[in-house]
Amino acid sequence: MVPSPILLTALVYSFILSLLAMGFTLQYITLSVPNLAYATIAFASTYLTLTFSLMNLSPYVAMPFGFLLGGAISFMLYKFVAFLRNRGTSIVGLMMATIVFDLIIYASMNIYADYLAYVFKLYAGSFSLSEFDFEIFSFPAVLFISGLTSVGLVAFFTLMLVKTKFGVAMRAVMENFNLASVHGINTERILSIAWFFVGGTAGLSGSLYPIWFAMDPWVGARMFISIFAACVIGGLRSIYGSLLGGFIIAFSEVVVTYFLSLYFPWIWAYRAVTSMVIAAFALVEMPSGIAGLIEKLRRG
Amino acid sequence: MFLIDLIMDIIAFFCIYAIITLSLNFQQGYTGIFNLGLYFPIIVGAIITAYLPGRLAMVIYGLDPKLDFSANNALVLSILRSKLSSDPVTSIALLTLTLAAVAIVCYIIGFLSSYPALKLPADYLALFMLCAGESLRVIGMQTDWLAGGVMGITIVNPFWWLGGYSYYGMASFTIISTILIALLYHRLCESPLGRLLKSIRENELTAESVGKDVNGVKRKTLAFSFTILGLAGVLHAFLMGAVVVGGYTRVDFSFWPWLMMIIGGTGNNIGVFLGTFSLVIMRRIMIVGKHYFWFLPFNVVWFEPILLAIMLMVTLVFRPEGILPERSPKIRDYLRKVLKLES
Amino acid sequence: MVSQTLSAGQNLELEKRPLLTVKNVSKRFGSFYALQNISLTVPEKTIALLIGPNGSGKTTLINCISGVYWPDEGQILFDGKDITEMHVHDIVKLGLVRSFQVPAPFKKMTVAENLLVCGQDNPGENFVSSLNRSRWRASEKESVDKMFKVLKTVGLEDKVDTLAGELSGGQLKLLELGRLLMLNPKMMLLDEPIGGVNPVLANSILSHIINIRNEFGTSFLIVEHRLDIVMKYVDYVYVLSKGNLIASGTPSEIVERRELYDVYLA
Repeated sequence: MVPSPILLTALVYSFILSLLAMGFTLQYITLSVPNLAYATIAFASTYLTLTFSLMNLSPYVAMPFGFLLGGAISFMLYKFVAFLRNRGTSIVGLMMATIVFDLIIYASMNIYADYLAYVFKLYAGSFSLSEFDFEIFSFPAVLFISGLTSVGLVAFFTLMLVKTKFGVAMRAVMENFNLASVHGINTERILSIAWFFVGGTAGLSGSLYPIWFAMDPWVGARMFISIFAACVIGGLRSIYGSLLGGFIIAFSEVVVTYFLSLYFPWIWAYRAVTSMVIAAFALVEMPSGIAGLIEKLRRG
Repeated sequence: MFLIDLIMDIIAFFCIYAIITLSLNFQQGYTGIFNLGLYFPIIVGAIITAYLPGRLAMVIYGLDPKLDFSANNALVLSILRSKLSSDPVTSIALLTLTLAAVAIVCYIIGFLSSYPALKLPADYLALFMLCAGESLRVIGMQTDWLAGGVMGITIVNPFWWLGGYSYYGMASFTIISTILIALLYHRLCESPLGRLLKSIRENELTAESVGKDVNGVKRKTLAFSFTILGLAGVLHAFLMGAVVVGGYTRVDFSFWPWLMMIIGGTGNNIGVFLGTFSLVIMRRIMIVGKHYFWFLPFNVVWFEPILLAIMLMVTLVFRPEGILPERSPKIRDYLRKVLKLES
Repeated sequence: MVSQTLSAGQNLELEKRPLLTVKNVSKRFGSFYALQNISLTVPEKTIALLIGPNGSGKTTLINCISGVYWPDEGQILFDGKDITEMHVHDIVKLGLVRSFQVPAPFKKMTVAENLLVCGQDNPGENFVSSLNRSRWRASEKESVDKMFKVLKTVGLEDKVDTLAGELSGGQLKLLELGRLLMLNPKMMLLDEPIGGVNPVLANSILSHIINIRNEFGTSFLIVEHRLDIVMKYVDYVYVLSKGNLIASGTPSEIVERRELYDVYLA
C-alpha cells in the first residue's frame, strides 16, 4: 500500500498543481501568449507565508494576501502585454514581455529573502513551514484547506462561466477574441479581470505550497516544468483537461516515483524530470492530450 | 598585468556569448525556431567536459582504478596536472576528443528533440525547450558522479603545458574558435541557405508550396545549432576550469543571450555581435562594481536580472527591431559581391 | 471571343491526355463532409475553372490536390503518378504548384529574394555545400537569369528590391504568379488569382495566364468568383456546391444553364 505521507504529499501537490495548470491554460487561451512568469508569480506569495510565520501568525493568514499579490502582478503583466500587442508586437516579443516580469519578480524575491535573512538572522533561501501547520482529525490541515480551496475555486469558476453575464462574455472572448470585440464586448476589461482572478488563484495556491513542501527561490523555475507537463497532458487548450493533467502529473511525480524508488532509490531526486519525460511522450503519442482523447471517445 | 587579465577575461566571455547569440540568431532570427532552452545543449557540453577528459586522462596515465574522478577530485587533478603539464600532445588530443564527442552527442540530441519539438506551435516549442533545459539542469545537480552535483567539479585544463600562461592558452583557443564559428555562420547566412531559412521564418506553408522540405530544414537547423551551442558549453567549461551545473541558469544562458540578440538586431549577425559586446562589457563592469555596494542588506547581484528586465522592456517598447535592424541585400550588390557578376 | 475558346476547349477535351485526375475524393472535418465523392480531370494545356458559392469546398479541393490535406477517400493522379498522400514539397517537385487565396509572400524579403528562393535543387541550400560558393554559383546564376525573365513576364522589374510586405494587392497577385513561374510547373492551381483586383489588372493577369499556357503549355485549375471577367478566358468549368460536383461543361454550356447561374453563381 502507499504509505500515507506519500499519499498526503500527492494529494496536496495535486490540488496545488491542478489549480496552477488550470490558471496557466486559461491565461494562454485568453491571449494566446504563454505566461512565462506564471510560476514565479505563483511562488512569490510563498514569501508572504514565510513572513507571517516569522511574525508568529498562522501561515493561512497569507492566503488572501497571496491572492491579492498574485492578482496585482498578473494584472500589471496583462496591461503590459496588451499594450505591446496593440502595437503589433510579435508573439516572440510578447513572451519576452512575460520574461521581463519573471526576472523582476525573481530578483525581488531573492532580495526579499536576503533581507529576511538579514533581519531575522536565518537562511531564507530555503525553508519549509510544516511545523506551523495544525491538525484536523490527526491529518495536517493543509490537506483540507488546499483541497477545499481547489474544489471551491473550480466550482466557483465553473458557475461563473456558466451562470453570470461576465462568464458568458469571458467565454465569447476565449472562443474568438476579434469577434467578441466586434460584438461590443469590452475585451480589455474582461481580460484584465480574468488575469487578475487567475493570477490571484495562482498566488493563493503558491501561498499554500510552503506549508507542506520545502521552498526556495528556484522552485518556480522547477515547478514550471510540472505545470507545462500538466497542460500538455491536458491538451494545451482545455481548461478542465489541464485540471486533470495536474492530477495525473502530481500523482505520477509523487506516487509513481515513490514506487520506482523502492527499486531504484536514486530516482527520487529526479521527480521533476519525470513529468518532462511524460510530457515529451504525450507530445509525440497524444498531441491533443486528454481533451483530444475525450473528444474521440465521445464520437466513438 | 591586471589590465591584460581583465581584457583577456572580457574577450573570452564575449566569445562564449557571441557563439551562443549567433546560434540563437541562426535559429530565431533566420529560421524562426523559437528556442528558449539554449542552455540545454550548453549543459550537455559542460557535463561531457566535466565527465570525459578527466576520466580519459586517468586511463591514459594508468591511475589507480580505485580513485574516482568525481569523489577524489582534488587528488586526481593534482596528479593529472603534473602529468599533463609536460604532455601537450595528450592535452590537445583530450581537447579535440571532448569537442568531437560533444559535437556528435549534441547533434544527435538536437535531431531527436526536434521530433516532439516541431509538432508544437512556436510558443509551446519555446516552453518545451525551456523545460528540457531545466530538467537537464536538475539532473546535473542531482547526479554526483556525472558532474559533481550541486558542489560542482574541477576539471583538467588542456593548456597546462603552457605553465603560467595556461589561461591565455585556453582564452586564445576560444577566440580562434569563435572567429571560425562566426565565419561559418556568416557563410551559411549569406548563401542561398540563409535565404531559404528566412523564407521558412516568413511563411512555412508558402515555403512548403515552393518545394522546400520545411521540417527537414528546421530539423537540420536545430541539430546544427545544438552542436555549436554544445561546443560553447565545452569552451566555457574549460575556460572556467570547473563545472557547476547549477550555475547554468535560464537567466544567464538563455535570457541574457535573448536580450543581446534583441538589442543588437534580430536577423542581423553584425547587430547581434554588437549587442553581445555591449552587454558583456556592461555585465563585467557590474561584477567589478558590486564591491562598492557592501552596505546593502542584500546581495547586489540581484540588481542584474532587474536591469536585464528593464533593458528588455525598453527595447521592446522603443526599438523592437534592435540597434541594427535586419537588412535585405539589393539585387545588384548581391550579384556583385556574392556571385561576382557584373550585369 | 467566347465562341472561339469554346470550340478550342471542346477539341482539347477530346485530343489531350489528362494531366490531373481526381477520382472519387472525399474529405471530412469531424462529421462534416467538405468534399463528397469528387471526380474531375484537367487535360494538358487546358485552363479549367472551379466555381461555386462560398463554403462549397473549392479551397478544400485545392488543398487536397496540393497535399496540404490528405483526402479521406479517393485518389489523385498527376502526370500518371499517385499523389494522394504525398507531401506538399514533393508534389511541387512533380510540377504541380499552387497559389493562395490571400497572397502569402515572404514579407520581410525583397521581391528578388521571394523569387530566387523558388529555385529548385540549389546546392547552396544544403548545409555542407552552401559553405563552398563554387559549388552553388552556377545554379544560383541560372536562378538569377530565370528570375529576371519572370520579373519581365509579370511586369515587376522595377520592384526587384522592394520588400514583398510593401507591395500593393495587385502586385502581390503578380508576385504570386511569378513565384509559381519560377518553379517550371506543368500545372498551376490558382486560388482566386484576381480576387480584390481592379478589372484592368484582372484582365491583364488573365491574359498573362493565357500567354503562359500558350508559351509553356501549362495547365491551370482556377478558383474564381468573378465570372463576368474570368469566363471568357477558360476552356472548361466545374461547379461545386456543398461539397458535391453538380455540373461541368464548357463556359457556354454552363452559361446556358440558367438555373445554375441563378442558384449558385449570381
